[in-house]
Formats: sequence, structure tokens, C-alpha cells
Amino acid sequence: MITHVSQPVLEVHDLTVSYEQHPVLWNVDLSLPAGKLIGILGPNGAGKSTLIKSIMGLITPTSGYVKIFDKALPEVRSRISYVPQRESVDWNFPASVLDVVVMGTYGKLGLFRRPGKKEIQVAQNALEQVGMTPFASRQIAELSGGQQQRVFIARALAQQADLYLMDEPFAGVDMATETAIFQLLQDMAAAGKTVLVVHHDIHSAMNFFDWVIMLNLHLVASGPKEQVVTEELLRKTYGGKLNLLTQVTDLIRKQDFNPLKR
Amino acid sequence: MEDFIYFFTFQDPSITWVVLGITLLGIGSAYVGTFSFLDKKALLGDAISHAVLPGICLGFALAGEKDPRYIVTGAFLSGALATFLSSWLKKNTKLSEDSIIASILSIFFGIGIVFLTVLQKSGNPEIAGLNSFIFGNAIGIAEADLLVYGGLSLTIILVLSLFLKEFRLMVFDPNFGQAIGFPIQGIRFVFNVLMILAVVIGIQAIGVVLMAALLITPAAAARFWTNRLSTLLFLAGLFSVISGIMGTYISFVLPKMPTGPWVVVFLSLIALLSFLVAPKSGLLPRMLSRRRYVKQMHRDHLMKALYKAKEAQQEQMSLEEIHALYPFHRSNILASLQQLLRQGFVAQQDQSISLTAKGVSDAMRIVRLHRLWELYLNEFLHIAPDHVHESAEQMEHLLTPELEAMLEQRLNYPTLDPHQVTIPREAHDR
Repeated sequence: MITHVSQPVLEVHDLTVSYEQHPVLWNVDLSLPAGKLIGILGPNGAGKSTLIKSIMGLITPTSGYVKIFDKALPEVRSRISYVPQRESVDWNFPASVLDVVVMGTYGKLGLFRRPGKKEIQVAQNALEQVGMTPFASRQIAELSGGQQQRVFIARALAQQADLYLMDEPFAGVDMATETAIFQLLQDMAAAGKTVLVVHHDIHSAMNFFDWVIMLNLHLVASGPKEQVVTEELLRKTYGGKLNLLTQVTDLIRKQDFNPLKR
Repeated sequence: MEDFIYFFTFQDPSITWVVLGITLLGIGSAYVGTFSFLDKKALLGDAISHAVLPGICLGFALAGEKDPRYIVTGAFLSGALATFLSSWLKKNTKLSEDSIIASILSIFFGIGIVFLTVLQKSGNPEIAGLNSFIFGNAIGIAEADLLVYGGLSLTIILVLSLFLKEFRLMVFDPNFGQAIGFPIQGIRFVFNVLMILAVVIGIQAIGVVLMAALLITPAAAARFWTNRLSTLLFLAGLFSVISGIMGTYISFVLPKMPTGPWVVVFLSLIALLSFLVAPKSGLLPRMLSRRRYVKQMHRDHLMKALYKAKEAQQEQMSLEEIHALYPFHRSNILASLQQLLRQGFVAQQDQSISLTAKGVSDAMRIVRLHRLWELYLNEFLHIAPDHVHESAEQMEHLLTPELEAMLEQRLNYPTLDPHQVTIPREAHDR
């Protein structure tokens, strides 16, 4: 059940990704429409973060390619915003909330130039959107998990992009914050931005997303929520490991080389 | 004392030069060190500083004398080789990072010592100067050498200031940096070069064995005092410069003394002091606040005992009765009693103690907090009435007036606690 669209915002073409010796994503092929709030669902280890990181160019795929706005990544990088997993950074780093959000403007600033009044204004607007203005001068180490997540989202907003890729932005977030952030993301989608979110909770996914991608080492489904979220596809996605694929992966891992790499 | 005045009034131009050099060197290495400290790469600095020894010896052997250009180049190349090897090994083997760094450190240093011994046997009269590279000798640096080391330090400081934003991103969130198109690999390469340079500039003044201390200790000490990167860099630089100058002074007064170990001694003192007295995170302030809390606890318990006796229609308590309630805290209770007497919360008549009007009001507050918290635990967290007392014993000393107001509101100004005892309030609040 994979729905393709014409004039996609994002096209992933036959993408296979391997870590060292073993493949973690097999032949993912999908295209996504603009102005939608899109969820990436799947069990742990299904390759959700890997897909996002490959789109962002943080991992080099074994084969296949990604096109964004019909162009290669380096040409359109300033139009894409990325939210890494919260645990990927050391929150004891000496920085204030505003310091971190200003980092969102670094991409447009480029090397050498320092952030000035304009950049700080952009960052403050972003903080206001996520309701973190009172925390602007707070040290990031003093924030709760949910607040840290909102700081990361504010940093993404400060990038003023058209496509947003968010890796588990709701991990460790309480219900009230989750609803508030989803509201914000829906507003962004309504304003024509495309928001791609790696997500865990199938329940809230049903409520909020327009379009759903289901992964389990391979692409199970990609399409409008109403068509994709069916019992059969959910079972295919979450119903345990795919025995054969896992065994093949193990087999490849035991080799000294990766036969999929060309 | 004469030496002290002579040294610190800078009458001797060569001393001025050395102090200037040490200052630049201290700031440069503390800057680089702060970033590698935050990046949790402290050990790499230690490995590099040991690994430059073979390069120093080869540089010396090639030049046949202590030519700073040869020595700096040799040290830099051998440090670069060690850095490259450690990242290559990490990428291409399954060895853990700490074992790689430990191996690189000992192998390079071992080879360096072999080279040094061979050179010492060669009978070259210049060799005496080479020994100072092990533990450093700031006073022995010639002016021409100072220009090389000072110039390199200045380069480090300038590059770091120019790339502040990029290095901050590299340490805090390299993935994000890469995602927005920053050449993080290139930035890391520049940083590694600066790190090796920071080691190289210190080899003559501080020595290869202890150079890592000058990289990491200032940042570690400064971290106790601040949560801001700019302040952290400033303090680390300051600590480093102070210790550097003091170490140089010792080498000046006692010419046989190597500079490096003394710099480390002063650095350690600063670090120890920071660890002990830095506000909030220091050991002493934490101990003091703990003691204040315990004192407050004993005082509150005494007040509560008096209030409960009053509730049972007993206006006074004898010292014996009070001690019987808290048999293990006799001296603490006595101290609290003295304090309460001074502050006018209680009055003493012969051997019996009673609450004053002021005391009744304060004791009532403590008892009220205790019972409000018990009720909160019981009603909102569904904890059985016989399990709530212990937690309330802790919380009654901590709850602020704001929290008290919140509790009152949430519980809708209750009259009874879970044990069906009245929650006491002032007459005008009832």
C-alpha cells in the first residue's frame, strides 16, 4: 500500500542503508506531498531514525538516492530543518536556551559570521511559538525533558525552512505539551510547510497525522492516513520481526563484506 | 621577598618576556582545553602531549642543536601522527577508545624516551637543554624561542575566537551542524590542529609529561564556577595564566626547579579550592546548606513537640520530657533551644519551657504544613493514612509559603488531616 504523488516535496528512490556490515533499511521507495503533517511509524529498530538521517545526508546510503524539492540535498539545504533526538546531545553543555535556539540561524549565517540582533529576534520569535519565552536565559541543564524537546523544536523553527524532519520530538513529553506541539505542527502544515515526524504512539498518530509512513526494515506503507492505518498493515508493521529478512541480515553480518555495497 | 619584588616589578626585560609568553601560552591552551574538556576528549590531550616526545628528539637530531623551528615541527608532526592513528584505529578496529589512547600514549612516549637516551649517549653538549622538555623550564627559554611559542599561542587564540560559533556547534551538536551544511569534519580537523599546536607551544615551558594538565585542569576548575561558555573560557584562561606565572616564578627563585610540576601544583590548588568553595556546586557550600537544613529540622521538631503538648492542654514541657521525645539528639535539641530562647519563640521558667505568642504562631505553621502534606498525599496520591507521616516529617521543613497556598487551595482549606486531627490556622485565617 504505497501511494506515490506527482511533484513530490521529497522523493526517496530505492534507498538501501547499511551500518558497517548489515543492512538496516531495504529498498525504500516513496514520495511525499507538500503541506502535510507526516508520521513515520514502526517498532524499535525498524529504521525510522535511519531513514531521516539518510534524507539529511548524515548517513551515506548503500544504494539509491534522495531528492528534495526535485533537487539534490546540498542545493536545498537551507530549506530543510532537522531536529535530532534529544538524547543525542549533552544537555550539561554550558549554554542558555537562547544560545541553542540561535544555532538554528547558523545555517543561513554560514561560517565566520556571528549572530546579531536579527538572528536573536528570529530565535525569540521561535521561542514564543513553543511557549518557552520565559526560559530564554535559563541554562539548558535545568530544563525538563519536555522543555528540552521544545527548545529543539524552537531551534528548528528558527531555521525558517519549508521541510521539517523531526526525530522523536515527543519522546519524554507530557500529554499537554504533546497536544500543544502537535497543534503547532498542524498550523505549520496548514501554512504549506511539510513536517515529517518520527513517532512512537499509534494512538496520537491516528489523531494528528495527515499521511503515514510505516516502516519495519522495509517500507510497509506510505499514504493518506485513512487508507494506510488498517489492521492488516499495522500487523505487518508491528507484528514482530520479519523472520526471513532478519536471518538474511544476520547472514550478511557474518560475512566479512557487505554484498549490497557496490 | 627581594626575589618576589624583582620578579613581579618586571625590572628584568627577560622576565617580562617570559611572563608575556607564559600568559599567551596559558590563555591559548586553556581555550583549546576548555573545548576538549566539554567534548569529553580530555585523554586525547594527554596522549598527544606524550606523543610529541619522539618528534622533539628527531627534530633535535636533525638540527644537531636546540633549534625551535626543527623542534616545533618535529613535535607537531609526531603529535599529528598520534592523533591520526588514534582516529584511524577507532574507525578500523573494534578496540575501545580508552585502550587506543592508552596504547598510543605509552608507545609514543616509550619510543621518545628511547630516542632521548640514545641522544644522551651521543655526547652532544647541547643535549642538556633537551631534558627540560620532559618537565619544562620556562626561565630557560631564549627570547628567539619565545617569539615562536608566543606567535603560535596568539594564532591559536585568534583562530578559536574567529571560529567560536563553529566550535560550539561541533561540541554541542555535530549532527545538527552537519545537517545545516557546516563542514563539521573540516572544523574538527582545524580543532585537532589547534589542540596539537597547544601541546607543542607548552613543551618547553611546561614539558610533555604535564602539558595535559594545563589543557584540562583550568576548564575543570572553572566549570565549578559558571554555566556560561564565555565566562568558562575567561576563568579557565585566568586560572591557567595565574598558575603559569607562579610556576615560572618558582623556577626563577629556585633555578633547579622545573616549571611544569609547579604549574600543576598551583593549578591543582585552584581546582581544589574551586571544588571546595565554589557556590552551589562546591563541597563546602553543599555541606553548609545540609547543616542548615538539619538545624532547621531539629528546631522545627522542638517547636512541634511544644505545640502538640499545648494541643493536649499542657502549656509547658520540662527539659526531661523534651529529651525523652528525641533521645538521640540531646545536644542538637539543646542548641535549638538556646537559639529559640534568643529569638523569643520560647520562654524558660526554671526547668520548664513554653511557647511565646510569637512561638505559637510559628509552631502552628509547621504543624499545619505537616498535616496539609499528609492530607495531600492521602487524597491526591492515594497513600494510606498510616504511611503519610514519614514523608510529612521531611516536607514540613521545605514547603514554601507559595506551596502552602497552593496546597490550601487544592485541598479547599480543609479542617481535618487524614488522622482526623484539626489542621491549625490563625484566628483571622479561619
